[in-house]
Amino acid sequence: MTLEALLVVAAALFAVGLYGAISQQSFVMLMMGLELMINGALLALIALWALSTGGNPQGQMLAIVFMTVMAIEMALGFALITNVYRVRRADITEKLRKLKG
Amino acid sequence: MNRSLVVDVLFWCFAAGSVVTGFLVFRTDSMVRAAFWLLASFVGVGAILVLLAAEFLGVVLILMMAGEMLIMAVVMVMFMMNPAGLNPMFMVHQHRFAVAAGVVSFAGLSVVALTVDFPDQPVDPSVDATAELGFELLGDSMLVFQTAGVALLATMVGAIALASRNGRFGTADEGSHEPPLEIEELESP
Amino acid sequence: MAPGVAVVSVAVAMAIGVYAVAVIDGIAGRLVAGAGRRGVGVVLDPPRTVVLLLMQRRHRTERADAQGWALAPALLGGLAATGLAVVPVDRGTAVADPGTGFVVFATAIAFVMIAVFLHGWSPNSLFPLIGAYRYGAQALSLQIPFLLAMLATALPAESLAVMDIVEAQGDVWNVVRQPLGLPIYLMVGVGVGFWGPLNLPDGADLVGGTSAEDAGTDRLAWEVARAAMLFAIAAMGAAVFLGGWWGPLLPGPVWMALKTLCLLVVMVASRHLLARVRIEPFVVACWAVFIPLALVNIFVSGALLL
Repeated sequence: MTLEALLVVAAALFAVGLYGAISQQSFVMLMMGLELMINGALLALIALWALSTGGNPQGQMLAIVFMTVMAIEMALGFALITNVYRVRRADITEKLRKLKG
Repeated sequence: MNRSLVVDVLFWCFAAGSVVTGFLVFRTDSMVRAAFWLLASFVGVGAILVLLAAEFLGVVLILMMAGEMLIMAVVMVMFMMNPAGLNPMFMVHQHRFAVAAGVVSFAGLSVVALTVDFPDQPVDPSVDATAELGFELLGDSMLVFQTAGVALLATMVGAIALASRNGRFGTADEGSHEPPLEIEELESP
Repeated sequence: MAPGVAVVSVAVAMAIGVYAVAVIDGIAGRLVAGAGRRGVGVVLDPPRTVVLLLMQRRHRTERADAQGWALAPALLGGLAATGLAVVPVDRGTAVADPGTGFVVFATAIAFVMIAVFLHGWSPNSLFPLIGAYRYGAQALSLQIPFLLAMLATALPAESLAVMDIVEAQGDVWNVVRQPLGLPIYLMVGVGVGFWGPLNLPDGADLVGGTSAEDAGTDRLAWEVARAAMLFAIAAMGAAVFLGGWWGPLLPGPVWMALKTLCLLVVMVASRHLLARVRIEPFVVACWAVFIPLALVNIFVSGALLL
């Protein structure tokens, strides 16, 4: 379990997430892509924390911030999906051609 | 048995598992299955974090994701077409561009990972990382922690305001429907 | 502890727990409702049920998710085993004592909703799916009071290791320190194990809910896993609220077993003593009553420690 291997795995997770976030039409699948990207970033962060910074506690602190970002993304994403569905009956990105309510 | 060998084998299992299940998220017919695959991917990453001595963070990641994925599955079945996956589903756009973006980002990040010379300072195994995190949370980084808490509170308020059915301007369903693209002809009297 | 010994001890504990749940349920049913058999029949009933279920034919539905259907009881049983593994039996004796044992147990509890959702979703049938959604609402509301009630017990110990939490109860048990904690924990425990008054996902009004399509070995595996989960919750409650191995005269493991049995009796007997709750008032009660109460519990115990 070397740092390089960990970072490559993190890069793979990030790339898969990016592919999903760009290619998926459905809002929820798009958010899954975003989650995977954050997942990869989190893995890279902890890998660097554990193997390259000698366990500086501020690295773990940053990971907590990452998880907060994840939670915020999910909560606001779902709220927006709910609202957009109610107002526009839209469930895929193609149905949202303008952002104005 | 050699401990580092066991850790290595476990790491490669979890790593391969999380990447493969992460990919299956976008290759499955059913959105519920997609949510479960994503959960499996997160469990793999959480397990790697535990292997990396970030025990608390790994377990908390898994804990957090269990709830999130359930909500995700429920939201999908509520709003999305073809929720149960009875018909094959492949809903993508700009697919070639997405594949290219994925490959390029993977290549770029891998090059960085393999070429940059990061300092080699492994975490001290005798230190209790969980306790350190606790002191950091309520010590030097208290302000960051508080800010994250306030941000979450603001998110809760915002999410409820967005998702609530009864708003200041009447029920949400009666909001502005998208106007039709063609101009309807007026009925002649 | 060697891996083999650990696996065997968890399996034995689970088997004893499942049997205890079945027997207590039989006795309580006979005492309260007058139903069931008398005498030694109560002790022999569980093996009889097992044999009957093993001989029964399994159901199959159209286009079911076979892997998910098989995985759900295995996942629930695995979670019960994970939960049991971090519960200490005596000072220094536990299958696993990670520094974050408390969080591991909470994660196992959180994953129960994944198992139940999978179990209800995979048969591709109406009533199981409704049961799965119901449990989603129930479990998401239960999570927060559960975590808060348990978290308060980690305060006096200043540790997330379950061993330390029990060790810190030498003078006074947490049930005395935090009188609100144990009732909330038991309520949540019955809800997490979807048992008795809170058996909403598998309730009779849904023709069996998530297990409506289960028969034979499927039903057997699901019931066994659920009973094991109840046992794990009771064992954890005995450890963090009733002082685990602490007690006069008798050796530690005996005290631990007695306390676990007490909580198990309370939880299992609730099925015969309390009326079933509807999901809507229950969810409201969770968010509007139990979360504030659990927060008061945490604040008071924190203030007492300062």
